[in-house]
Amino acid sequence: MRARGLVRWGAAGLALSLMVGLLAWSVEAASGERSQRGDLIVALQGEVAPLQLPRHESAPVHLHLEGGLLTADGSLLPRVDRVEIGFPAKGVISTRGLPVCTLRQLRNSTSEGALAACRPALIGHGSVVADVLLPDQGVFRIHARLLIFNGPRKHGHRLLLLHGYAPKLPTTVVLPFMLERQRGRFGITIGADLPATLGPWPHLARFTLDLGRRYRFRGRPRSFISASCPIPPIFTEGFVSLARITYTLVGGREVSQAITRRCRGL
Amino acid sequence: MKIGTQWRKWAVALVLALALGGAAVAAAEEEPTRDEYVDQLEAICKPDALATQRVMKGARSDVQHERLKLASRKFAKAGSIFSSTVKEISAVARPSADRERLKKWFGYLKQQERYLTKITAKLRTEEAIAAQRLTARFIHNGNLANNVVLAFGFEYCSFKFSRFG
Repeated sequence: MRARGLVRWGAAGLALSLMVGLLAWSVEAASGERSQRGDLIVALQGEVAPLQLPRHESAPVHLHLEGGLLTADGSLLPRVDRVEIGFPAKGVISTRGLPVCTLRQLRNSTSEGALAACRPALIGHGSVVADVLLPDQGVFRIHARLLIFNGPRKHGHRLLLLHGYAPKLPTTVVLPFMLERQRGRFGITIGADLPATLGPWPHLARFTLDLGRRYRFRGRPRSFISASCPIPPIFTEGFVSLARITYTLVGGREVSQAITRRCRGL
Repeated sequence: MKIGTQWRKWAVALVLALALGGAAVAAAEEEPTRDEYVDQLEAICKPDALATQRVMKGARSDVQHERLKLASRKFAKAGSIFSSTVKEISAVARPSADRERLKKWFGYLKQQERYLTKITAKLRTEEAIAAQRLTARFIHNGNLANNVVLAFGFEYCSFKFSRFG
């Protein structure tokens, strides 16, 4: 009887500690890593799934990122001229065999229209919240749905086309992100200039991005993103610099934030 | 007689008031604003952060190739740099409005020091899993430390795991 009681208490304790653990994790996940320059706070949070990856070869993964900009005093966010996201050089991005979508197919389309035209080229999705400042109307926030498509090549680099559609202020924006390889820890980058013609859009507040697409090409399974957990057999987990986001603000000032995450070796 | 005693009391009170007033003025002069404090600390942290990056170069690769003792030596050097940085920045006068917050931050920094010492020891004895667990805590604790002083906008005094190899 006493033993059964202890078992019940043990189970309740375990459940409680799991709940506390999950709560702590979700609180941490909601904030992510942050840094502040002046009044501007940059936040980035992200994870890769699955967590458990082969040690010596790449396996298909799905990447989730969320982040944004915030001012400490609640003032209007600065205009962003350029966004660049870096991924680990050891990651693999493959668009081989993926259908291509063009800018023309996406222009002036709703999210549904973009999917109808380019669904086979879809490689990710997400959302964006931006502050819009219209003369004599103050600041208001808009929410847009994001779709990311495999685009054509330009100057030898693959383009990823980001399609944003805000239904409440019917507006479509298509931004070409250039996929490049560079030297350094974040050797794979996707970056886009946000042209002035976007008007009130560049006051970016926050975003979420989910990247990942599995497909078949010539009978073989492929993945838009693949990764490994390159750790020796004596370890069970490793630490990866997962992503870094850099915003170039109007006037040329840059703010960035990087995140490190765990991976488990298979 | 009575007048003489009163004069002495007044004179002592005056000397005390002047001394206390002088001390208060001196304290106010020594106490930096937050911006001045950040500048002072960053000047100390910058060379140390760069030195940490130098001594930790290749540590990630060492761990990946199971050269744990070599990695341990690099961690030991980084730990020593970190300890001397913490000691040096602890001595800098703090803005009174931020004292509690900074006390909490220095608490996290002390914990970081302990983690670095423990990671070094576990790598030296080739206890890989223990070193791995401690590294996870080291990263988590570093992020918590950063959150406490987010408003200070530190660059070199903030925790960045990328500096460690």
